Amino acid sequence: MHPVVRRVLHGGGFWPAFPAVAFLVVFLVLPMLTLLAFGFVTIERGRIVGDTFTLQHLHSALGDQLIWRLAWRSFYVAVISTVLALVLAYPVAYLFSQTGGIWRTLILIAVISPLLTSALVRTYAWLVILGGRRGLLNQTLLQLGLIDQPLRLLNTDWAVIIGMTQIHLPFMILPLLAVLSGRDRRLEEAARNLGAGRVRTFFTVVVPMSVPAIFAGLALVFAVSYTNFIVPQLLGGGSYSTLAVQVYEQTVVVLDWTRGAVLATILLTSCFVFVYLIVAGGSRLSRWSEIRT
Amino acid sequence: MTHIHLEAIEKSYGQTKVLNDCSLEVARGEVMTLLGPSGCGKTTLLRTLAGFVRQDHGRVVVGGVEISHLDPNRRSVGYVFQNYALFPHLSVADNVAYGLKVRRRPAGEIRERVAKALQLVALDGLGARYPAQLSGGQQQRVAIARVLVLEPEVLLLDEPFNALDAKLRLTMQIELRKLIDRVGITSIFVTHDQSEAMMLSDKVAVMRAGRIEQVAAPLEIYDRPVNDYVASFIGRANVLSVEVRDGVVASAPEVVTNRADGPARLIVRPENLAIAGADACWSGRILFASAQGPSIEYEVEAGLPEPLRLVVPRQAGEAALPAGSAVGVRIVDPGACIVIGGGSGV
Ligand SMILES: Nc1ncnc2c1ncn2[C@@H]1O[C@H](COP(=O)(O)OP(=O)(O)OP(=O)(O)O)[C@@H](O)[C@H]1O
Ligand SMILES: [Mg+2]
Repeated sequence: MHPVVRRVLHGGGFWPAFPAVAFLVVFLVLPMLTLLAFGFVTIERGRIVGDTFTLQHLHSALGDQLIWRLAWRSFYVAVISTVLALVLAYPVAYLFSQTGGIWRTLILIAVISPLLTSALVRTYAWLVILGGRRGLLNQTLLQLGLIDQPLRLLNTDWAVIIGMTQIHLPFMILPLLAVLSGRDRRLEEAARNLGAGRVRTFFTVVVPMSVPAIFAGLALVFAVSYTNFIVPQLLGGGSYSTLAVQVYEQTVVVLDWTRGAVLATILLTSCFVFVYLIVAGGSRLSRWSEIRT
Repeated sequence: MTHIHLEAIEKSYGQTKVLNDCSLEVARGEVMTLLGPSGCGKTTLLRTLAGFVRQDHGRVVVGGVEISHLDPNRRSVGYVFQNYALFPHLSVADNVAYGLKVRRRPAGEIRERVAKALQLVALDGLGARYPAQLSGGQQQRVAIARVLVLEPEVLLLDEPFNALDAKLRLTMQIELRKLIDRVGITSIFVTHDQSEAMMLSDKVAVMRAGRIEQVAAPLEIYDRPVNDYVASFIGRANVLSVEVRDGVVASAPEVVTNRADGPARLIVRPENLAIAGADACWSGRILFASAQGPSIEYEVEAGLPEPLRLVVPRQAGEAALPAGSAVGVRIVDPGACIVIGGGSGV
């Protein structure tokens, strides 16, 4: 047996997790691999032709300029939305950790309740807010006299970014909330005692201590933003597309499963790579937290 | 010359008064210990001095300047936390350098002073490690170096030896006292270990329930406790309810007092009692006996609410008297006994 396999099996950590691992393998990994496999065979009239394994579909997809443009859009929209989510989430999580009593409960409810409504409903809500001349946002800004021409928001990158950021915000807030409210406050007192002011203490003690949570949130939000196809479809409009939207359209609308499977393979693989880079970056910045004694 | 002056500090959390009219003076270069049972407010008093807690009333004066209104980072008061509170994300050297970086010292000076501070606490060579890679004793020394490198006016330590095992504890106590003498810094320790207090400090302040009961040199506290609380807190003591008549204690007439006649309490240390024959003040039966090398401990049931405790010197080859023996007990040095007022609640 490979030493790594042996360590996993005998390390004492594996068997309690076995039911969950088995469940995921049978109901997630296997179906997904089956689906992805459609991209690497030739299908004619609904049947797989021979046992031909081919990279030809992948090859032609990777040679397609359009696919690269869509992938790039998926990427930058996800990156901007993820960074925005972090910037918005951190103060909320920090505020939560600094307050007590009823405020804590209210913040927690405010953070969690969006998760109780479907993402589709929330996306439609953004349609109402951002939509055209009569959208809530433009109406308000016009009334307040802040603008004299309605802004064109719907069907732009910004509409997609704003919608995604809001929808994914809880995934960023929750890990931060857990780590920030469980932190050791004496470290901040120690910093103050050594002469650091409040701001310096925040950036040299609080923020570094929350690096693992920051990167957990970044990885999570990036993954769900990068692969989200509902928000770009609804808020980006008919001619707006991303890699994830293409996977959906090829598979469900055009019914070209081969193309859909190939694009899904590209989407998933690149997503894994980016998430890996984020996680690796995070653990590089927080090596201290992995010291075992 | 008074260096630290706490004036009538009061602090309440909700309805509970945690500090009640606490006043304390510490002379320059002196080592003071705050001693008291758990929850009596030692940490709170120390935190008030460091500025983490704002007192409701009273003043904090250091070096003649009132600092009550200053933020913690504006006070020149080094604080060593109970569990050290080292920054886990910084190496040992960076932990020690933290305060110097805040003060924007040049890099060369920082390197030099950090190296010197680590040398002072015998940690040279461990600068690159992270706190999680150090033993408890080493972590504690980092915490001390981190504070001393800034050369604060005052050093505060909250139960610095708690996390250490008995042997290391003793070594560190001696080392720390030597270190403090070398840098000559006014220090306040918190402890609830009385032998630690006796060993480390020039003065001991005994606290009870938010008040300071007595401040004095360790031996003076031991020999001249102001009340039975202090007497039983520092070392062990027999506290007996007695009657004063004509300037002497009725049941032990060799003890002379200038107290007025009436009920009083007599405090006698266990080592000030001895087994006696005819000249005994009390007679009774031995309940418990244990010979321990240099001394023998007895508990004698003498018809008092509590058994008398005795610690008598042991000669080579001497065995303890068996439990159950009928014995007399006398006072060795009547002058070392203390008679205090009989009113309760002292
Ligand atoms: N932030 C707080 N809120 C409410 N009560 C507090 C707070 N801090 C301390 N107390 C209370 O004040 C009292 C004194 O606490 P403090 O920590 O000063 O005791 P201590 O003498 O240091 O005890 P120990 O020896 O156990 O450390 C305790 O009864 C404690 O419960
Ligand atoms: Mg304490």
